[in-house]
Amino acid sequence: MSDAILSARGLKKTFLSGDRRIEVLRGVDLAVGAGETVAIRGESGSGKSTLLNLLAGLDAPDAGTLAWDGSPDTGAARRVTFLGIVFQSFYLIPELDALQNVLMAARIRKAPASAEMRRARTLLARVGLAERADHLPAHLSGGERQRVAVARALMNSPRLILADEPTGNLDEQTGGAIIDLLLGLSAETRTTLVLVTHNAAHAARCSRQLMLHGGRFA
Amino acid sequence: MPWYFYLALKQLFPTGRRFPFFTAISVLSVCLGVMLLVVVLAVMGGFGFQIRRMIVDTEGEIQIKAQGLIGDYRSVVKRVQAVPGVAGATPYAAGILMVQYENKPAFPQMRGLDMASVENVVSLGRFVTAGSLDALDDDSVVLSEGLAESLGIPVGATLEIYTPLMLVQRDGGVILPHSVKVAGVLRIGHQQLDSSTVYCTLRLAQDLYGLARDVHGVNVRVQPGANEDDVAARINAILPPNTRAFSWMDSFADFLTVLRLEKNMMMFVLLFVVLVAAFLTMSLLLVLVLKKTREIGLLGALGASRRQIAFCFCLQGVGIGVVGTAAGLALGFTVVRFRNDIVHAITRLTGGQEMMARFYQFSELPSHIETRDLVVIVVAALVLSTLAGIVPALLAARLKPVEALRSE
Ligand SMILES: Nc1ncnc2c1ncn2[C@@H]1O[C@H](COP(=O)(O)OP(=O)(O)OP(=O)(O)O)[C@@H](O)[C@H]1O
Ligand SMILES: [Mg+2]
Repeated sequence: MSDAILSARGLKKTFLSGDRRIEVLRGVDLAVGAGETVAIRGESGSGKSTLLNLLAGLDAPDAGTLAWDGSPDTGAARRVTFLGIVFQSFYLIPELDALQNVLMAARIRKAPASAEMRRARTLLARVGLAERADHLPAHLSGGERQRVAVARALMNSPRLILADEPTGNLDEQTGGAIIDLLLGLSAETRTTLVLVTHNAAHAARCSRQLMLHGGRFA
Repeated sequence: MPWYFYLALKQLFPTGRRFPFFTAISVLSVCLGVMLLVVVLAVMGGFGFQIRRMIVDTEGEIQIKAQGLIGDYRSVVKRVQAVPGVAGATPYAAGILMVQYENKPAFPQMRGLDMASVENVVSLGRFVTAGSLDALDDDSVVLSEGLAESLGIPVGATLEIYTPLMLVQRDGGVILPHSVKVAGVLRIGHQQLDSSTVYCTLRLAQDLYGLARDVHGVNVRVQPGANEDDVAARINAILPPNTRAFSWMDSFADFLTVLRLEKNMMMFVLLFVVLVAAFLTMSLLLVLVLKKTREIGLLGALGASRRQIAFCFCLQGVGIGVVGTAAGLALGFTVVRFRNDIVHAITRLTGGQEMMARFYQFSELPSHIETRDLVVIVVAALVLSTLAGIVPALLAARLKPVEALRSE
């Protein structure tokens, strides 16, 4: 698959916990095309987060290869523009208001100009937080914080969004709204989405569903 | 502005209502250390400076002395005055006297001044607190304030003066003192001079000491901006053998060395206060790094490099150092400016103001800040704060994003 945005072959990851070896991933193959939305499900402890960290280039696999848009460069510098990540915890920076948290993604790339400023405001408006731009995370609800995190993930117009249980800390309704946002935005911008979720209904809304079991896709 | 700069600023001084306690405490500790250094070094520098001023104000920058007496002082003064860089020269005679007033004796220093030329070197006029210098003639003296007070001598009173010469010339008879009138009182501001000095005309001093037309030395005032040592060297080139010119620094070389040594020791000891402040900054930044572990993981996930993350925390140490040093300088200069009010307030509470004046030679606390000292203080504070930022920065850079994000 030459036009794969994300391709992984034979990814293996083993953790040493004390003197126990935990083989979490035993050879994961994955190819995701442009604009695709893929849901990854699996039991708790099956290695979904571990896999996502490997796909994000945040951790190195013990074996296997990974390529973003056909290139094996998955370093920090490329991650800035290629990838947007949303986690179960929102990880907003408490000293910065909502707007500046979104802009932080742009800042890491380069000093933001007025164009970036406008984009950050537009994104906040898109996730329904136009009025809350100057609020600190401490003054936002869980759902609102996750929406800021979604806007931040989209800030640099990434080719790929990785979301690790973005609704895990939210109630059913709020979680549904976040999934709406993620799917809606990826459709609008033709951004590829890989979504880790426990929720079968959320998974069913993606174009493809994968089940992680025994360290492989079933 | 790179993001790590921005974030460092925001973490040090967050917008919104939260008071930055961490920042405030570390800034305050650096500030106090720097302030302490500035104040102590200013006052210690002040002692040296005060002594220089006292000498220069009363004797000029250069003293010419001979082995024994200077004979033809008029020609010496005339030739010295022609040397480039010399503003004025005046001969003097000096010695010890016994004075008696209403049966109270005292043993002051005597200084015989050449009234025609003394104002070219020393503007004694501005130190007069009672009477007048103009009234000084060969039958009168001017007293230092402490001497006038301790013997209770008013202006216009008559004193009796005994000199060592009278003991030699006694020939078995009764010693006859010399009677003089008090023409005025001087207060120079230096305890040692003010406590016990008698100023008189050169002629009277020569008579009292049997010098005929000789003098003990010549005081020289240097033109503003001229280098004292250079001028002294030039004067030495034209002086007759056995007669030499010394700049005040030569005369007080040992004393100045001790003073400088003392100041350097003080600086060394007080720098430890700044070192302790740096350790405090470091431990607070370490706590900050631990508290922010998950955010550091997130920055990594957003694509920040380890070096940039390290910068972000190191810059906070630098920021604390810069703000603390600036505040410390400001506070230090303020304390130095109001030092006398502060000291007076303390001595008023504890008593002992007189004691201090007597013991420390100065009635006011002097101060003089040398640029060199300031540079050392500022550089030391900034370097130590930066080092204090480096350890937490390395810790933050060593965190792996995945592990940082997993941490609870
Ligand atoms: N750094 C680590 N050291 C040791 N074991 C680890 C480490 N990271 C993950 N594991 C183990 O790997 C397994 C998979 O963890 P992972 O977090 O990927 O699961 P998950 O599928 O995301 O679970 P959940 O749905 O609960 O989030 C777990 O058994 C976990 O204990
Ligand atoms: Mg997980």
